[in-house]
Amino acid sequence: MARNLELPVAVVTPVDLGRLLRELHLIDETLLQMQLRGAGAEVKMPKTSHLMDQMITANTLNLLHKADRQELQEFLRSVREHAPVLHMSFSADPSVSFMEKLTSWLRREIDPVVLVTVGLQPNIGAGCVLRTTNKHFDLSLREDFAKHRDLLTAKLKPEVTTA
Amino acid sequence: MTIWWLALILGVLGSAGIGFIWLIVRIGRISGGAKKQAGNQIESLEKAADEDVEHVFNTEFREELRNRGRLHFEKIIGENAMFLQQDLRLTTSQLNEYMKTEITHKLTEEFDKYEQSIMDAKQLAIESIQKTNTAIDEQRQVLSDQVRQEITNEKQQLLKHFENNMADIVNHYVLAAVGNQIDLNDQLEYILADLEANKKAIIEDIQSGA
Repeated sequence: MARNLELPVAVVTPVDLGRLLRELHLIDETLLQMQLRGAGAEVKMPKTSHLMDQMITANTLNLLHKADRQELQEFLRSVREHAPVLHMSFSADPSVSFMEKLTSWLRREIDPVVLVTVGLQPNIGAGCVLRTTNKHFDLSLREDFAKHRDLLTAKLKPEVTTA
Repeated sequence: MTIWWLALILGVLGSAGIGFIWLIVRIGRISGGAKKQAGNQIESLEKAADEDVEHVFNTEFREELRNRGRLHFEKIIGENAMFLQQDLRLTTSQLNEYMKTEITHKLTEEFDKYEQSIMDAKQLAIESIQKTNTAIDEQRQVLSDQVRQEITNEKQQLLKHFENNMADIVNHYVLAAVGNQIDLNDQLEYILADLEANKKAIIEDIQSGA
């Protein structure tokens, strides 16, 4: 029976997903070679990455089992093909912890397998600019200032006109 | 008046001469008639008369009369000349007075006309200056309105430009002032709140697909 696998919050971008797929493919190849060479042959197992460790831990997988590897591979390919990708731009390069918190919220509230690509726009001040498949959400401080321009004008106009 | 006096004097002298001649002729006629009536007596009387006439009106006497007449005529001429001189002086003074009065009157009239002309010119100049001042005031008012309008337009344009770019200005100011101090971790709550506000639209867009 197929389990519902989940993506750990450390896997954020499609690049991360590609790395996992390549790593899983390498593990699969290594184990296949071990199987072909037979017992006694020395085959060095590849060292799993931090992302793969989190993936395995989060989904309680055993990559020595071919079924688990197969299931993980299918899941990752499915995610790569069908997962929604959000492009988010920030004023500065986000930290890992920040991205983990953000990804956690996105996967809880938006989509469980959503992926995020990160961009950099220093001129937005604060906040972020979100671009989905068809829409563009400017959630930056710059846009907030533009939205509340009337309020700012109402505050500044008396000072300007009396000057 | 002097001419009348002179004519009167000449008339008197003429009358006296005529009377004198008439007297002589009368006396001659009377003596002629007596001759006819008296015959020889008359002749003798005529002779005596002639002799008396010759005796009375002899050359010395006639010369004396002539001299007296000349003196009298000269006296009358002198008096009349004096009168004429006085009249001439009077006339001259009157003429001078008249000329003075006339000239003064004419000069006064001319001065009045000149003064009136000056007043008219002055009035014309004042009216011209007033018109010029009015035109200048109107032009100044027009220019003032134009300048005020230009300033207002410029101000409105600046204000509009400022309003249009105000968000960028404030954003630039905030970035320059505190941009380096705003950490992304501090913004997380703000970002999540914005995402929460737009969650429905994001989900709908994701579900609708490409």
